[in-house]
Amino acid sequence: MASASSSKVPAASPNTPPDSCDVLVYGTGLVESIVAAALAWQGTNVLHLDPNPFYGGLWASLNLEELKAWTDKINSPATNDTPFSNAYLYISRNLDPRKYAIDISPHVLFTRADLLNLLIQSRVSRYLEFKPLGSFHTFEQDSFEKVPGTKEDIFTSQNLTLLTKRSLMRFMKFVVIWDETPDVWLEYKGKPISLFLKEKFNLDEPQIVELVHSIALLSSPSSPTELALDRIKRYLSSMQVYGNFPAMYSMYGSGGEIAQGFCRSAAVAGAVYRLGTKLSSFDDESGVAVLDNGEKIKVTEKLITSYGLLPSSREITRMVAVVEKDCKEWFAEGESAAIVVFPPETLDGNKYAVQALVLGSGSGQVPLGQAVWYLSTQESGEQGRKDLFLALEKMEESILRESTEDFEFDVSEEDIAYLPNGMPVVSSVRLGESLRNFTPKESLKYLLKLTYTQKVTVPPPQPGSKTIYVPAPSIDIVYDGVVTRAQAIYEGVTGTTEDFFEVDFEDEDDDATATGNPPDTSIGDVADIDDEELGDHPDFDEEVAGEMTI
Amino acid sequence: MAVARDSTSSTRFAQFKLVLLGESAVGKSSLVLRFVKDQFDDYRESTIGAAFLTQTIALDESTTIKFEIWDTAGQERYKSLAPMYYRNANCAVVVYDITQAASLDKAKSWVKELQRQANENIIIALAGNKLDLDGKRQVETAAAEAYASESGLLFFETSAKSGENVTELFTAIAKRLPLETASSRQRTAPKGVDLSRPNRRAPAASNNGCTC
Repeated sequence: MASASSSKVPAASPNTPPDSCDVLVYGTGLVESIVAAALAWQGTNVLHLDPNPFYGGLWASLNLEELKAWTDKINSPATNDTPFSNAYLYISRNLDPRKYAIDISPHVLFTRADLLNLLIQSRVSRYLEFKPLGSFHTFEQDSFEKVPGTKEDIFTSQNLTLLTKRSLMRFMKFVVIWDETPDVWLEYKGKPISLFLKEKFNLDEPQIVELVHSIALLSSPSSPTELALDRIKRYLSSMQVYGNFPAMYSMYGSGGEIAQGFCRSAAVAGAVYRLGTKLSSFDDESGVAVLDNGEKIKVTEKLITSYGLLPSSREITRMVAVVEKDCKEWFAEGESAAIVVFPPETLDGNKYAVQALVLGSGSGQVPLGQAVWYLSTQESGEQGRKDLFLALEKMEESILRESTEDFEFDVSEEDIAYLPNGMPVVSSVRLGESLRNFTPKESLKYLLKLTYTQKVTVPPPQPGSKTIYVPAPSIDIVYDGVVTRAQAIYEGVTGTTEDFFEVDFEDEDDDATATGNPPDTSIGDVADIDDEELGDHPDFDEEVAGEMTI
Repeated sequence: MAVARDSTSSTRFAQFKLVLLGESAVGKSSLVLRFVKDQFDDYRESTIGAAFLTQTIALDESTTIKFEIWDTAGQERYKSLAPMYYRNANCAVVVYDITQAASLDKAKSWVKELQRQANENIIIALAGNKLDLDGKRQVETAAAEAYASESGLLFFETSAKSGENVTELFTAIAKRLPLETASSRQRTAPKGVDLSRPNRRAPAASNNGCTC
């Protein structure tokens, strides 16, 4: 299968290194790798180098040996070409280093993301495995609440008043068509989303917090309305695309793993790969690149590099913790991932939200019985670390409470709500309240702890005419902007984006079955019930995801 | 890897990932091309084109094995194979050229690399290719065979050009694959999201419903 039009792909002859190339790509991060693959399939002669012995650059997922070397490197005063710094690493003894894949810039993929379309279109998705991420929790009043991301959740929620439910329903109805109804929000375009939600939809603080921080995954309540609406809609429209979850993650690592897939695709199209090879110098005028072994390469078109960026004053603080607990209490059934958000002002005055991505062993990143927690905040310096440690403490308390086996919880009648079809639903709020008073007997064992700082970088003010800079991964947990950036760079080389990944695969693959017989979903049926109780919005669109295109 | 049983008959169907390794120009891609398409191209310069190839063989009346074959795509040239390449590989063919003594040494180092990077119970076959150039032979059969048996590898001398021993090589691998454990492991490890199957109610996530 997929033996692409081999005639147009130039074959480098084996054993002799190319002494010239059209485009030299330096760094194997996600954006560069997408560009390399797009160019290679378009017929450009690509040489792709990385100074590291691993793929992924600033997006890499590392085993423990690589992680140790990486922390040493970013802490070294001699290293000035990385946005990372200030790493503190603890690793417990006797861990098998190869059984771990630690993401240095963890990301998740919404099912309505342009990157997913590109992965499918380019067939790179065939090299990867994606797992569902359906659990989004918000930390409120010392417990983790599941985010009501669907109408069903809103309906069954016990801590929402009828009035709030009505306002929420009204907002959800609006937000799926927000971009077609600018009259509703235009005056709030650049104003804080929290203001818009309060004034226009009469929403209360807890709902605003969940919408902004857990659903839109934004860090600050003053995030602009336009951006926030886009992100809220994306969450809702991503539900039910592949199942009862809005997002996914790639197994064995996020951006670095996807980058590997694009690199393999580029190699299949004829790009040449050399890891562990440094670019010693590049002469922008002559286009001559000198490698660390003295080899010279004539670059006829462009150098695309993710190195040489300048740090700006903004930074984020990250923490990684591997715990000896499977953390399944936080995951939806059959899943191995959750997002936990600590909104502003929930951790002793934190200014920005703290986001935590929790992955269990089903992610392939940690062995059975363990989980990895990725925490991050846009708060910088000492305050940033303090916020993260507080969040870590809360997570530890919570997982110990929830996972203790000898704790029995009596469900009383008042804790149960019944759906019109008779299905009982236990209120997670009551559950959370009861658990709050419980003191666990055991403590949590940390197998790895890492904190570090990531600076936001900018390209140098005067790039050379042959040099194109690739921005570092954004501080966002979503892949937003990656495809757009890759396309812009591609256009910088070829002058157009029209043929970006327009590959005519000679399809011989018998596996490529048509879109057929998707599994039945039942959520729509359950969601029909709201009319009776809520009265005045009879035709609330049950299928939020239904009619949308990207 | 995947194993499924057809409920109406007793046929068993299993899929395995096979990776190719070996020095450049020993004929890795040619071996696969012979196996999959029964073709040979004298002027084939290096690996071009295929994401991975698939080939199905019927082991016996009730067992069908499908190989998902990953070629190196040239990434072995500068030791730049991604971890993704080795991951979950069930079997590997390490190829050397019987007319190049040094290529067997390279093959040995690839075997070591596999033992370091791949699944513990990976099935490895050593293939001495270019048997059609027997007159220029530099590697004696006995020497390679001895190495293979002490390292627990399957061993064949093959010719992608004439086709000699190519099917035999892949069939021997298929016979060694653990069909029974494959099926039980399948049940405990749920597969990832099938991106080609979005729900009926939502429009396809890809352009014009393409599921490639």
